[in-house]
Amino acid sequence: MNLGSFLLRRLLMAIPMVIGILFVTFMLVRIGSLDPVGLLAGPTATQAEFDMIRRNLGLDEPLWRQFTIYVGNVLQGDLGRSWLSNRAVLTDILERSVASLELLFWGVGLGALIGIPIGLKAAFRPNGTFDQVSRIGSLLGFSIPTYWLGLVMLFVFFYLLRWAPPGMGRMSLMISPPDFITGSYLIDGLLQAEWRAARSAFSHLVLPVICMAIISAAPIIKHTRAIALEVMTSDAVRYARACGLPRRTVRRMVMRNSATPVITFVGTELTGLVGTLSLIEYVFAWGGVGQYGLNAIVRGDFTAVQGYVLALALFSVIVFLVVDVVVHLIEPRAGRA
Amino acid sequence: MSRTGTAKPVLSVRGLTKQFAVGGGRMLTAVSNVDLDIRPGETLGMVGESGSGKSTFGRAVLRLTDPTAGSVVFDGQDITHISQRRLRPMRRDMQMVFQDPWSALNPRLRIGELITEPIKLHLGLSRSERADRAEALARRVRLSPDFLRRTPSGLSGGQLQRVCIARAIATSPKLLVLDEPTSSLDLSVRAGILDLLAEIRDETRMAMLFISHDLATIRLISDRIVVLYLGSVVEEASAEGLFQTPAHPYSQALLSAHMPADPEVKLARHLLEGEVPSPINLPPGCSFHTRCPVAIGACRTTVPQPVAVGSTDHTARCIRIQDGGNLISRRETA
Repeated sequence: MNLGSFLLRRLLMAIPMVIGILFVTFMLVRIGSLDPVGLLAGPTATQAEFDMIRRNLGLDEPLWRQFTIYVGNVLQGDLGRSWLSNRAVLTDILERSVASLELLFWGVGLGALIGIPIGLKAAFRPNGTFDQVSRIGSLLGFSIPTYWLGLVMLFVFFYLLRWAPPGMGRMSLMISPPDFITGSYLIDGLLQAEWRAARSAFSHLVLPVICMAIISAAPIIKHTRAIALEVMTSDAVRYARACGLPRRTVRRMVMRNSATPVITFVGTELTGLVGTLSLIEYVFAWGGVGQYGLNAIVRGDFTAVQGYVLALALFSVIVFLVVDVVVHLIEPRAGRA
Repeated sequence: MSRTGTAKPVLSVRGLTKQFAVGGGRMLTAVSNVDLDIRPGETLGMVGESGSGKSTFGRAVLRLTDPTAGSVVFDGQDITHISQRRLRPMRRDMQMVFQDPWSALNPRLRIGELITEPIKLHLGLSRSERADRAEALARRVRLSPDFLRRTPSGLSGGQLQRVCIARAIATSPKLLVLDEPTSSLDLSVRAGILDLLAEIRDETRMAMLFISHDLATIRLISDRIVVLYLGSVVEEASAEGLFQTPAHPYSQALLSAHMPADPEVKLARHLLEGEVPSPINLPPGCSFHTRCPVAIGACRTTVPQPVAVGSTDHTARCIRIQDGGNLISRRETA
């Protein structure tokens, strides 16, 4: 099967998934304990005011009607208005998503860059010294609470050592951000040769990205090790050794054959770590979607919560689509099944 | 025996032992003090239950795992301790076929590449020469050359196992270790593979170590058979000798558990009681005494040595052979 028809099939498969996601996000907010009318009206409102707000929001309509209105609006790109920012939720999310994506990709990317080689090396000598040390390391990564790690890093590297800038956003407020190209201050700064901006963006990225990398590397180490170990004990690898292939070649074969499951796992990490991302964004006042969503949940901004959950779900759909395509490209078997 | 005579053995194993550390300072003894020889053109069957150490033995012989003690002499050279680097050129003469052909073939390579992998590694040859070889080998294992351009996912188990055999014989090795090569295949496919192996053996006088838990298969292909229990050889005999007069109580129980094709044949079944003891704490004395229906006091303390049974090429490790008490009677197991 060629890539085009493969993509088309996957996209078609995504449609019912997205409809399901819309329904679930809609229902989640409805059955939750959020009371938007009460929140908007405030403690001194009269019953008449309550009813008016209810009607204005369309909450007096039957549930199915509310849902069709919601789906219709979403299809037109209208996710509703946030009461906190008094702006369209879609605009809020789009503006903030670049900040989040930047942190997420650098973080998980660095985590994969650290985690995959460590996992492979640990698998090459199971129960050796390196394996033991990496096991303890990944256990630490699993057990450290995210917000605590972020706060400790700020305390040490900003407050004590003064190496890092304060955890307040993506760039120093004294520097004007570069023009919008990709949305990443670091990349845009570099592209436009605005070195001061790029430098500032980089120094603000360091701590949260390391934080994200530590949290994401732990499971990547564990999974890579398990995957590589399974490949290593397969008869194909045993046969390669029985043929007398040099160790280096055998290891290359192990890496090659572990690639697909490892890539798939890193993909799931990208989507699975959005919770962690919210906390890190909160600690570093990053101003991303995660922080926005967390805020919306805490403050009961229910159109924003709805939009946030929908955005996350769509992000997962896209990530898995990309993972599928990558796997399809590197894996001759997947497409022919 | 007639086929092999007294030619110099291709493989000569003495006192081979393999232990694994299992934590807490304890040792798991997978293979214990095994001696055996395989001569050119001979097929030695190795039979035993799962966990009896058959596969570990096969791997240790090829130095895929390093033996704890004992020696492996291959083609006149002691390979027990030589480096993997020095062993590498010898590997063209020792090849292996595994139980699960789906797992034994790298799924990213085409069949043609898979078959010529060892040739490329050991003999070099140009691309077109290798392609010719691949085609000849495919025909040799009765596989259509059309398959050479496919990847393993498009082939059936029997076809894949033929691919494994083709690549194993590609460098004309002197020894072929087959670890349960037919166990994952349908009965109908199995016979074809066994015929093929027998043909190849008779043509090339390749020595084969055929590891299996399946008695019918072992009987069909083997000249001689060794029976393994908890890592030790309990009996060694010619195929017919073993099936006609099994001497060790374990062999007797094993043979009685296998179904003859003829439903009219009356069977004396000797079903063993109890579990196989853990190989971590091997029982002292004869390792079989915990389940043996004819064990006596001495079996708990004396490690049995090989005793000749009838003909000279039939030995069993049971101290009760001398007093004739090794035979399990029906009454004792009824």
